Amino acid sequence: MRNRLKELREARGLTQAALADRLDVSRQTVNALETGRYDPSLPLAFRLARVFEQPIEAIFEPDDDAAVPRQGR
Amino acid sequence: MTSELDTGRASRGDRARSRAYLREFGAAMAAYVVVLVAVTVWGGLHGHDPARFALAVLPAVPAAGVAWAVLRHVRRIDDYQRRILLEGIAVGFALAMLGSVTLGLLAAAGLVVPGAPWIVYGIGMVSWAIGSGVAARR
Repeated sequence: MRNRLKELREARGLTQAALADRLDVSRQTVNALETGRYDPSLPLAFRLARVFEQPIEAIFEPDDDAAVPRQGR
Repeated sequence: MTSELDTGRASRGDRARSRAYLREFGAAMAAYVVVLVAVTVWGGLHGHDPARFALAVLPAVPAAGVAWAVLRHVRRIDDYQRRILLEGIAVGFALAMLGSVTLGLLAAAGLVVPGAPWIVYGIGMVSWAIGSGVAARR
């Protein structure tokens, strides 16, 4: 999953550590989120949305292969 | 590319969690070492008193405290860190079991390796550490 976390964080002048404290996670986790090594749980995604005051879908974008498959007949 | 905001410094929460873990793990480990040394030096483990068996396993009590500290740490950390830690534990467990079976098969063939339980312990701990390191870098 692609995301805009790094861009949003830097726009607010937050370090990874400061964001980690706001989210109650480790700095290592923020780094893994930003580099796409870790997709957040739903509760963490909602906390991110609250911190950045943006809807989840404005922060995260699914990879092409993660799109909902079309229903077959 | 990193910016000046990416300092790599631990957050306040990270430091608080690390301090709590080190405090609990350190206290249990210190108790383990004290009991182990006391039992080894004064426990009379090479005598004939049946009580020596109870004394021999006494260090397992503070060792349980170490396990309790690790469990508390697992509950304190976040989902991502827990995933890394548990992947490492899975690797450690699998290799320790493999080592245990290998040593058991050798023993069945008549080759009893001295200190086999400690070898299994070492395999488990080292592969846990390596497995966690690899999982964190993936």
